[in-house]
Amino acid sequence: MKHEDVVCPFCGCLCDDLEVTVEDGHIVGVKNACGISRSKFMSHGLNRVSAPTVEGKEASLEEAVRESVGILSGARRPLVYGLSSTECGAISKAVELAEATGGVLDNTSSVCHGPTILALQQVGESKATLGEIRNRADLIIFWGSNPTEAHLRHITRYSGTAKGMYVPEGRKGRRIIVVDVRETGTSKMADQFIKVEPNGDFELLEALRATVRGVALRAEAVAGVPMDQVRALAEVMKGARFGVVFFGLGLTQSEGRHMNIDAAVGLVAELNRHTKFLLTPMRGHYNVAGANAVTTWQTGYPYAVDFSRGYPRYNPGEYTSVDMLARGEADAALVLASDPASTFPVDAARGLAKIPVITLEQKITPTSMLSRVVIPVATAGIEAEGTAYRMDGVPIRLRKLVEPTEGVHSDEEVLGMILEGLKGGAEK
Amino acid sequence: MDKLVLTPRGFSRVPLEAEVITPDAFAGKSVKEIRALRVHYGNREVEMSEYIHVQGKVADAPVDQLIVVDGDARHIKYIGRGMTAGRIVVQGDAGMHTGSQMSGGDITVAGDAGDWTGAEMRGGLLRVLGDAGNLLGAAYRGSSEGMTGGCIIVNGSAGSEVGSFMRRGMMVVEGATGPFTGVHMNGGEIFVFGPLGRRAGAQAKGNGGFIAALGGAREVLPTYVYEATYAPGFMTLYMRQLAENLGVKHAARYIGEPLRRYRGDMAIGGSAEILVAEKGAP
Repeated sequence: MKHEDVVCPFCGCLCDDLEVTVEDGHIVGVKNACGISRSKFMSHGLNRVSAPTVEGKEASLEEAVRESVGILSGARRPLVYGLSSTECGAISKAVELAEATGGVLDNTSSVCHGPTILALQQVGESKATLGEIRNRADLIIFWGSNPTEAHLRHITRYSGTAKGMYVPEGRKGRRIIVVDVRETGTSKMADQFIKVEPNGDFELLEALRATVRGVALRAEAVAGVPMDQVRALAEVMKGARFGVVFFGLGLTQSEGRHMNIDAAVGLVAELNRHTKFLLTPMRGHYNVAGANAVTTWQTGYPYAVDFSRGYPRYNPGEYTSVDMLARGEADAALVLASDPASTFPVDAARGLAKIPVITLEQKITPTSMLSRVVIPVATAGIEAEGTAYRMDGVPIRLRKLVEPTEGVHSDEEVLGMILEGLKGGAEK
Repeated sequence: MDKLVLTPRGFSRVPLEAEVITPDAFAGKSVKEIRALRVHYGNREVEMSEYIHVQGKVADAPVDQLIVVDGDARHIKYIGRGMTAGRIVVQGDAGMHTGSQMSGGDITVAGDAGDWTGAEMRGGLLRVLGDAGNLLGAAYRGSSEGMTGGCIIVNGSAGSEVGSFMRRGMMVVEGATGPFTGVHMNGGEIFVFGPLGRRAGAQAKGNGGFIAALGGAREVLPTYVYEATYAPGFMTLYMRQLAENLGVKHAARYIGEPLRRYRGDMAIGGSAEILVAEKGAP
């Protein structure tokens, strides 16, 4: 059977034009997908967690849930982390669970675009959907982001070669500029590449903003970029009909972090005195934007939310999982839809290894290997349906294409079982 | 002053949130009542006596109350939060948010202090004899006003974003500061006697605010413009005040010191000043 317009649950682009062929309950073909997406669909059955485990030994689902309830109800500062590679129903359940345990809820923004959120809360945001960008943008700036390796179809679908209503020539109608510390696949297909010194983005953004304001700076070069080039770039930006800055972790995770984004937002705000300009974060995990959205509408805050006093409190740096684990504050953790043991800084990963961890996972990962309890779950967007948010904040419905293995439930269902166990224990 | 001694005991690295440790909350109560005050240990609310031993004399008014925290308070958060009068002495390290939003009285931390120490301080004196963490005297997330009054003195060094969104008040760091000192500053004074961190004064509006880098600075943001080298008279008054009244003895050596004045942040049309001692100028 052929499924059309399937949504890919991999990166923040959420491409929604895939064709997937299913025969006898197995995926046998994928069309229109990028290499990563094809591999996700075709290999979703490989390296799977075959059964629930407790202390490395195979257990029934009931035993694994009971053990999880025991760990969480005994914890004084439990951490619920991950959320970014699952659908919104599961995220909503995770919020409920964090509240019920009086724990701390955090998602992978903590190690990717958390600084973006901090800056946007501080100074605001000027944004548009990817559809509007496709139809109108004539100047695209990739700053510290490399879609040719991280968001493979971004350029063809939205930002580069795509033909739009007011950009009918496609690639020829758009000017593409890349600002990065080194040449990348994206810079090779761009019209201009500006090489900035590592950790010098903040200075360059500030100098650009001052130049757009009409201030003549005395410096000859800023962060390795000659002032002539800075002035020329400012003119190109001011002269665009509709410009966009797509920024990635090159900006959010280099020195300056949220202040880099603060400066980028400031630059874009300044440019809006001259023309239409906006900025969009290149979100990585396919539903990290959804993790922020769901957590915000349920608690008021997008990540790093503490429920220890019964009401939500927000303080990145204090309640962010990396910081909590590095300080040794958390005494238990529930991880879903992410692999912190692979992605966290070593101090935080070490902190995680010292405490009892419950992991809901499809695949065997470093995190599942250090966990006391592992519960296999269905893959959202392939074996379970749900909603995900694209990088520009547009919600898109994920489809269920094949049945999960018997006895394997969705993230939302497993979280529901643990939550019920916790509530049952509280009533007794 | 009547002295009350608090001895922390028997808790792990799960933080204890104890904003009740203030002269305001203690004064006029019996020792028994103080022991029964509620604190938060992780996700549970417990009586303070479960984790802190309390002994000594309680004053009738906050202004006469001295609280000595005797022992390791690294994992105790919010000591002296919002206090208005009296004195707190922490004999070891203090946890996050110590003295945050305080408006009067004084706090001395003999060891190091955690992040957000003196955050959004309104008045009073806060002294850290060791090092301070990040966001010293800063604004909390989402707030556009950090410190609005009072004085913070750190003998050691301080972390990043010290004095963010500072509006009024005075901050003295005798050692080095991390990056983004005085970021978004909109008034107030910051004196740094060690090396000033990178990107000081970023996005600062000014409003009469300045950062004095008496220990020099390796670099100043390109959006700060050099204006003049001079030895302003007002600096003599500040240095004298620091040396004679606030115990920063070596400040007297900087009287008459030539300073290079930079103005910015030009990226936002600001008029804040960074005054860098000529000896250590970039």
